[in-house]
Amino acid sequence: MEHKNKSLLDTGKFIAEYSSHMMGCGVHTSRVIRSAKRIGEAFGYVVKISVLQKSIILTLQDAESKERYNEVVEIPALPISFEHNAELSALSWETYDEHLSLEEVKERYRKIVEAPAIHPLFVLILAALANASFCALFGGDWCSRGIVFSSTLAGMFLKQQMAAAHINHYIVFALSAFVASLCASISLIFDTTAEIALTTSVLYLVPGVPLINGVIDILEGHTLNGFARLAQAALLIVCIAVGLSFTLMLVKDNLL
Amino acid sequence: MIAVDILSDAFFAALAGIGFGAISDPPLRAFPYIALLAAVGHATRFCLMTFFGVDIAMGSLAASVIIGFGSIWLGKNARSPMTVLYIPALLPMIPGKFAYNMVFSQIMFLQTMNNPQERTLYMDMFFSNCMVTCSVIFMLAVGATLPMFIFPKRAHSITRKKKG
Repeated sequence: MEHKNKSLLDTGKFIAEYSSHMMGCGVHTSRVIRSAKRIGEAFGYVVKISVLQKSIILTLQDAESKERYNEVVEIPALPISFEHNAELSALSWETYDEHLSLEEVKERYRKIVEAPAIHPLFVLILAALANASFCALFGGDWCSRGIVFSSTLAGMFLKQQMAAAHINHYIVFALSAFVASLCASISLIFDTTAEIALTTSVLYLVPGVPLINGVIDILEGHTLNGFARLAQAALLIVCIAVGLSFTLMLVKDNLL
Repeated sequence: MIAVDILSDAFFAALAGIGFGAISDPPLRAFPYIALLAAVGHATRFCLMTFFGVDIAMGSLAASVIIGFGSIWLGKNARSPMTVLYIPALLPMIPGKFAYNMVFSQIMFLQTMNNPQERTLYMDMFFSNCMVTCSVIFMLAVGATLPMFIFPKRAHSITRKKKG
């Protein structure tokens, strides 16, 4: 009996950590709930879980002995990671299908979470390329694309450095938008599509993932979480606009 | 010339999808699929809007439905949940420009409070930008999530190794 209690305790602690990590790295709510329940079921427990924006409340019940384990866990603020999303979802199915022991599940979880993310330098170059192609989509010429590429490099580099230094992310977004658009304002002295270069130079900052996740959550009935995500994203967009408006006021004296 | 326009639109959308996706750390094996979905989706919207006169919200809905079905079909090969493929593919279509133009027209509205004509102009701009931003984001997510509602079983077991 004592052994069984320990297992309930350990499984509960693991599921709490697993679900809060998933929620923290930008997985939509219904997947977090489904995966947590699946892992619980694999060990013979019923998981009842309530997910909020900042914390998760969960109860594990042993199907036979009716013993319960409760936990309230805070959701950490992690960078968005689709890799963790994919691997942790797969882990829940592996646990369910292959009847893994808890130790083995924990080992695999640790490996997934500790695996290195894509190299920041690679991300920096890809993001700059992406923003330059955005400039192309909006009809910018090659000169503007080059300017947007280099100003995104500057802005994104600054964003990565400030994020690594744990500066408040509203300030990070406003400052990176300001720096990127200020660099892009050099296009005004060339004969090029300066307007397009200026406005696309900050688009790499737009928080697309929480915007889409927010609507998915609302569609699936997790309305509170959905609106919480949308509100966060809206605040970041205001920060981008503030950063960009400083540049526009400096170089053009007009916002629109 | 039309074909070149469409292809270049698809090419730049693929680049944008990969680059903006890379910021959110997707699995490396998903990159080719993300590029493909982003290209097909954005080119669809481009064609609908340029040649058939479809509005931006409906164009986005059509594109995101295609991306959604593509992601449920390709997800098994990429061993990734649908959202891992379709969210990065949707990113190039997020109306970021409309979103911050909305904030700008709000600022300008407040600055031109004493001039009824300009004030009305900025009020108008605020609402049209707001309308486009909200409806496009909503349509993008609805369209891509639709396959999940039609095939819930397949969508929820996409990362499962064997067929249960």
